[in-house]
Formats: sequence, C-alpha cells, structure tokens
Amino acid sequence: MAAADDRRALTPAPRLRFSWLGLVGFGLALALLAVALVQARQFALLRQAVQTGDDYVVPMVYQAETEQLLLREQWRRAVDDRVPLDEAALRLRYEIWVSRVELLRGASTLRLIASHSGYQQTLQQIEDFIQTADRALGPTPVVALERGFLGALLPDLEALTSPMHELSLGASHKVAAQMEERAAAVRQQNLLGVGLTVFLSLLTLAFAFTALRQVRQLRERRVVLEELAANLRIARREAEAASEAKSAFLANMSHEIRTPFHGLMGMLSLLRETALTPRQIDYLRTATESADHLLAILNDILDMSQLESGRVALAMAPVDLRALLREVEALMRPQAAAKPLALHIDADAAVPERIVADATRLKQIIFNLLSNAIKFTDRGAVVLDVRTREGGAGEREIVFEVTDTGVGMDEATLAQLFKRFVQGDNSRSRRHGGTGLGLEISRSLARLMGGDILARSRPGEGSCFTFRMPLRLPEVPAPGAATKVPAGAPQALHLQVLVAEDHPVNRQYMAALLETLGHEAHFSVNGEDAVQALQKRRYDVVLMDLHMPVLDGVQATQAIRALPDASLATVPIVALTADAFAETRERCLLAGMNDFLSKPVSPQKLAATLRRLFGTGAPAAVPDVLPPRQGVRGNGHALVDESAIATALQAMSREKLASLVQAFLDQAPETVQRLRAAVRDAQPLELRTNAHAAKGAALNLGMAGLAATAEALHEGAAYLPAHEVARLVQRYENQLPATREAMIELGVLQRTMQPAVTG
Amino acid sequence: MQAGSALVLAAALPARALERPRGTVVLTVSGRVRMPNDGADAHFDMAMIAALPQTSFSTHTPWYAKARRFTGPLLRDVLGAAGAQGTLIRLTALNDYKVDMPYDDPQRHDVIVARLLDDQPMAVRDKGPLFVIYPFDARPELRGAVYYSRSAWQLRTIDVL
Repeated sequence: MAAADDRRALTPAPRLRFSWLGLVGFGLALALLAVALVQARQFALLRQAVQTGDDYVVPMVYQAETEQLLLREQWRRAVDDRVPLDEAALRLRYEIWVSRVELLRGASTLRLIASHSGYQQTLQQIEDFIQTADRALGPTPVVALERGFLGALLPDLEALTSPMHELSLGASHKVAAQMEERAAAVRQQNLLGVGLTVFLSLLTLAFAFTALRQVRQLRERRVVLEELAANLRIARREAEAASEAKSAFLANMSHEIRTPFHGLMGMLSLLRETALTPRQIDYLRTATESADHLLAILNDILDMSQLESGRVALAMAPVDLRALLREVEALMRPQAAAKPLALHIDADAAVPERIVADATRLKQIIFNLLSNAIKFTDRGAVVLDVRTREGGAGEREIVFEVTDTGVGMDEATLAQLFKRFVQGDNSRSRRHGGTGLGLEISRSLARLMGGDILARSRPGEGSCFTFRMPLRLPEVPAPGAATKVPAGAPQALHLQVLVAEDHPVNRQYMAALLETLGHEAHFSVNGEDAVQALQKRRYDVVLMDLHMPVLDGVQATQAIRALPDASLATVPIVALTADAFAETRERCLLAGMNDFLSKPVSPQKLAATLRRLFGTGAPAAVPDVLPPRQGVRGNGHALVDESAIATALQAMSREKLASLVQAFLDQAPETVQRLRAAVRDAQPLELRTNAHAAKGAALNLGMAGLAATAEALHEGAAYLPAHEVARLVQRYENQLPATREAMIELGVLQRTMQPAVTG
Repeated sequence: MQAGSALVLAAALPARALERPRGTVVLTVSGRVRMPNDGADAHFDMAMIAALPQTSFSTHTPWYAKARRFTGPLLRDVLGAAGAQGTLIRLTALNDYKVDMPYDDPQRHDVIVARLLDDQPMAVRDKGPLFVIYPFDARPELRGAVYYSRSAWQLRTIDVL
C-alpha cells in the first residue's frame, strides 16, 4: 500500500510541469519585449516632436503677424505728413518684418502650414510687397525713399494683415490638432503600457504560482522520500534483526541437534560393546560414518553462518610455516596414496620459515584446496606450490597454488564455483558428498585474511587454485621450543565444585573430569536447584551450564549475585556452554560470571580456568613426553613398546604401572567417548588436546599403537573430513583390546583383571 | 565644476577699463556691470565684438533647413568684458522680444554671440546683426523649446540682474 502511494507520488509527468513553466516564462519574455517596444515608440514620438519643433511654429507665425502690425503702424506714421519721416525707424521695422516673414518660408513652417489654403497666395503677396518695397528700403535701393512711394505701397501692406492673421490662426489650429493627435497617440501608448503591465503582472502571478506549486510538490516529494527512507531503515533493521535471530537460531539448533547426537553416539558405542555379527558391525560402522558426515555438514554450516555474521576472528600468531606444510603433507598423503595420486608439496627457498598467520584457518584453507584437488583427480598428481611475490599494493604476498591433473571445469562451472551449495559437477557431488560450502568458507577466510582465492581451469586439463594473502613476518624470532600442552594432571588444589547441568551424560563427564583434577563434584539439575544448593553449603566454585530448564545459567547467576549473604553472592561462577559466540561470552560476563568454558570442557581448560581463579597451589605436573622409540619389537608389531615399558618400570613398581595401565585402559572408552564428543561438537582443538593427552599417557605407558593413532588424531583433528577423524577414533577404540592382550602377553597386566565398568 | 572654475577665471581677469565704442552701438550690457563705458552701461560696437576671442561652429537650428556655420565671441567673454556679474541675464531683441537666461547658462555651455553667418555679416532681415546661438549639435540636451527660445536673434540688449 505505502509503496504504491510512494510510487504514484514520485512519478508525476515532469515534462508537463516543465512546459508550463516554460510557457509562462516565454509569455513573460514576450510581454517584456512588448513593453520595450512601446517605450521605444514613445521615445521616438517625443524625439520627433522635439526635433521638428512644430510647437515653435505658432509663436513664429504669431511674431510675424505682430511685426506686420508694427510695420503697418510705422508705415502709416511715415506716410502722415504731419510728423517728420523717421527713416531709420522705418527701415529697422521693415528689416525686422522681413526677417520674420522669411521664417514663414522655413522648412518646419512649410511642413506644418503648407496645406493651409491661401498659404502660397499669401507668401506670393508678401514676396511681391518685399520686391516692390526693396526698391527704396532694400540693401541696394534704386529709388529715393519718399512719402509718395510709401503711400502708394501702404494699401498693399494693409492688404497683408488679414491673410497673415489667417495664417496665424491656421498654424494655431494645426498645432492644436497635432497636439491633440499626439496626446491621443500618447494616450494610446499609455493604455497599451497599462495593458502590458496588467498582462505582465498576471504572468508574474502565474509564474509565482507555478513556482510555488513546484516548491510545494518538491516538499511533498521530499517528505515521501524521507518516509521511504525511514521505511527502508526500518526494513533494514528488521532484516538485521531477522538475521540475528537466524544466527541465534542456528546456534540453538546446533546445540539442540548435538544433544540428541550425544545420545545417538553413546548408544552406537554401547552397541559396539555388545556381541555383534560381522554384518551388524558393518551396519554400525555405516551408521557411525553417516552420523560423522552429518556432523561435518552441521559444522560447515555453522562455520559459514559465523563467517557471514562476522563472528570469526583470526588468531594471528607466529607460525612455523614449514612445519605446518609437513603436517599438511602427512595428513594428505594417505588420501592421495589411496587413489593413487602423486602429492608434491614444494616451498620456494625464499619462503620464510616463520610467518604471522592464524595457523588453524590457514591449514583449513590449504586442506580444503588439497582435498578438493584429490577428490576430483583420479590419476596424475596434485601439487602444492608455495612462494612469495610482490602484491598489487606493493606489499609482499604469500601464494599457495594447488594444481591438479583432474577433470577440470568449464567456464560456467568456474563461475558457479564459489557460490553456495554449488559443486563443480552435480553428478560428482553425489559421488563425493560434502556440503559445497568448503570453497566458500575458504574464500571467506582468505578474504578475512586480506587475501583471496582464484581458480582457473579447463575441462580435461585439470584445475589451479591460487590462494594468496599478505605476507607478515613475526617481529621478534620466537624461541624454537613449542609450548607443550599440559596433560590433565592432578592438581594440588582440592576444591568443592558445584556443577549445574541438566544433561546426565555431561554430569558424568564433568564428574570424571573434576575427579581427574582432584576436586570434589556436586551436582544440581537446574538453575534454581543450584541457587538453593549454594545456600545449603559452601562451594569454592560453580560451573554453570547456560541451557537449563526452570532457571537458565544467566538467570541463576543473577539470582546468586543478588543473594543477601555477601560470601555466597561472590562465589566464582564459570559458564559452560556449547555455543562459542562472542555475544554469549559477553552476556555471561555481563550477568556477573567470572569466566567462560565452551563445551566440551577439557581437563586442561578446566584446570587452567580453576588455576586462574584459585592460583596454582602446586606446580602442575607435566608428564614426560618421550620421543617415539625405534626398538619396537618384531615385524612391525607396533602396539606396545617394550623399551618404554622397561623405562617406566625403572621409575615405578610393576604393580603401580599395572594399575596405571589398567586405569588408562579402563578410562579409554571414556576417552573414546570424549574424542567422539569432540568430533561431534566440531571442536578440533578439543580433539587435538584429548588426543594429545591420550598420546602422552600412552607413550609413557609404552602403548605405541594407541599413541600413534592418538598422534594421527592430534594432527588431523582440524583438517581431516569428519568421517576420517571418526575412522581414526574407531581405530583407537579397536586397538584397545589388542593392546590389553599385548600388555598381558608382556606380563604387565594379569589376565584376571577385568575392565572396570564405565558410565 | 566646470562652471565654478570658469567663474573663478572670469573674476580673476584684471579689471581693465572698457574702451568707448567708436562705431554704431550694436549691443548694450546693462544692470550689474562693473566696467561700464557709458554711464552705467557697457556699449559695444561691432569692432569691439569682433576684437573678442572668436568661436565658430556649425549647427542645425529650427530657423534654417540646413546646418549653418556661426561665428562670434562666447557670451561669457562678452559678459566678462563688461565686468558683468549676476544671477540672471535678460536678453532683448530689436523687436522687443525678451527672454531670461540663467547666469549659469553661458558658463556651462559654449553659447556664442554670433556676428557671422557662414562667415558673412548678418543683416537685420537675416536675423542679424547679433544672434545668440547654443551649440545644439554638440549637446543633444540643448535641442528643446527652452534653449531655442533663449537663442535670441537680432540681439540688442543684455540686462544682467
């Protein structure tokens, strides 16, 4: 509705309004031109009057008439013989009269009164008189000036009086008529001027009205636009809110999906403990693989959603690049060899030993590119070339180029390559599986690192994927010794720990974990329960799950912080949660929690957290990590390392070792469960840590086979596809009975010792 | 400005006594005259007028169909010669035609007292012998009834008021 209104308001015919304005403007210009013309005409009229001096003719003729009368008087006096003849006065008067009547012949006079009847006749009459009079009065007199001559001419002079008066009147009338005419013209002009002024005023009004209307319309349109912008802002906010909600939903869903998976995986592993036919074992394996695959997809989607919402932060740190490449090679070689394909990983000599990068993400990208190449190549070779070069912006780049001799792609496929859920070849995707998110995730990560991934390929000629990122070198060369991950060693601390956790499996896990760390665990099944438990007895620390019925972790924390007893209200609280979003952490800290542990909680993490809260107490016992022994007995029978057992027996009694091995093997199913949990929860770091811990202990106790599998797990945790990792976990599990057998064979264990039942 | 400086210049002229006319008097300057040569008036014959600095120009007039050339002294020189100083000039012609001219007019404009028309002396019938002429062609604003009326011909007397 609103949009339709907006559209209508926004699209009036702009050309029409323009033409209106143009029309009015044109009229205005025209009117102004007319005014100018009228004024020019008025000016011309006035100028004509001034130049011709018509007005001046009337007094001129009048003067001539006056002089005529004066001359007549003088003449009469001269003829009168009673007075003496004043010759000079008569001459002067005559001369003046002549000068005056001469003017009647002038150009302007002629123009004005030429049409007057009798004008010519009068002029002729004057002419004749002057001619006669000049004989005595002129400049060259021919006769003497005497009374007889003057008396003879007097009648002629008197005869001029009447026609000259006529002429004077005629001129007067003529000029009056002319003035009237001119006045009429001026009146007309004035009228025209007034008309034009009125017209001009009207046009100006019209112009102003149009302009006003346009301004109003503009204002209206601006209002509409502002409304539209406001609507868009609201829409954007809503969209963002929806996206936020989606992210939260995804996080929740991953949690919700993972919880039943705990059950599913647990059941599957329990099922494996029962007596099964080979066919059932096969089914079970397929079921486990499918579950792993499903988890891998879930992890990809979670990865993508986190990348999309910008929640992924890179952990930049100095990385031993060559070691990293060796790791990658070690992990990829089995996959390549299985096809079989040649795998070359080659680093240019100029590539520095150590760079600053997010090692996990870097390996994720390289691994994705390599496994894609292996996936789509059936014969030939896959090559990873690492080199440095000058980048576009003048800074150095490091380039990882993965080239294969596989099926290649046409341009259409290339164009679709980095698009979501699109795989190189639909028929192949069914065969190879995967979410199709791998490349998009890799490219997003590459761009996050300030680089990019480009692909070029031709059908049948293989493909080449180039991943580049800015090369950053560590400022200070880090010491060569890598930090060892401390194994879950018992702590000198003995803490009373309250665990608020609704899930029984997690409760058991936490119980084992805390026990391992030497602490005493107590449990509450929801937030409310926890708040009550806290008031009944004293605890050193509370581990608070966030997702709980009745009262969730955040609410429970707020309730505890609001308790009146200060010693109760200040108990340290550590959050336990499966979602690792930064907001969740913030929310927890805001609610008053002291720390934050993401699930699954490893002994190391828990120990580290508790150490942060309570101090070391006693230095953590770091178990020795022995290098793999070479003197493994017999023809590749690598399950147990006798020399390691011998070394161990030097440090402890056979009974003690036996109990440790027994404990280790008893705990092994739990370890397997933990490893599975780590795979399920897509926590490669947790997987690594657990695998590393298992490896350390296994090596110490001489269980080389388990140690090797744990090491493979440790190395492949982050990069191997989920089903590969699951296979390794499976292998670890499968090795357990054989290892027990081998230990019995070596006399470390007694056959009578039965495996302890684990929860 | 121009008028002012001309005034100062005129006033600064040495007060030289005006000689008495030897020929027929053609022009009388009366009224506020400081250098009279006959009673209270200053009389000029044609020789005295011709002896003053002469100015010539051609101009159209309402009285002739074509432009004519007029020659004679500047009116302000004539007034200066008589030591005249006033606010108004009254011109009188032979036929008793009278017209008033502001004292400023001859100072602002190069008004001449023409004695020659096309280099010939003017008879009375030719509107002579003296003709007050404004430079109509040089100054368009002079082309109007006011200035035409101030152009007295057959000039006889200048009364300085």
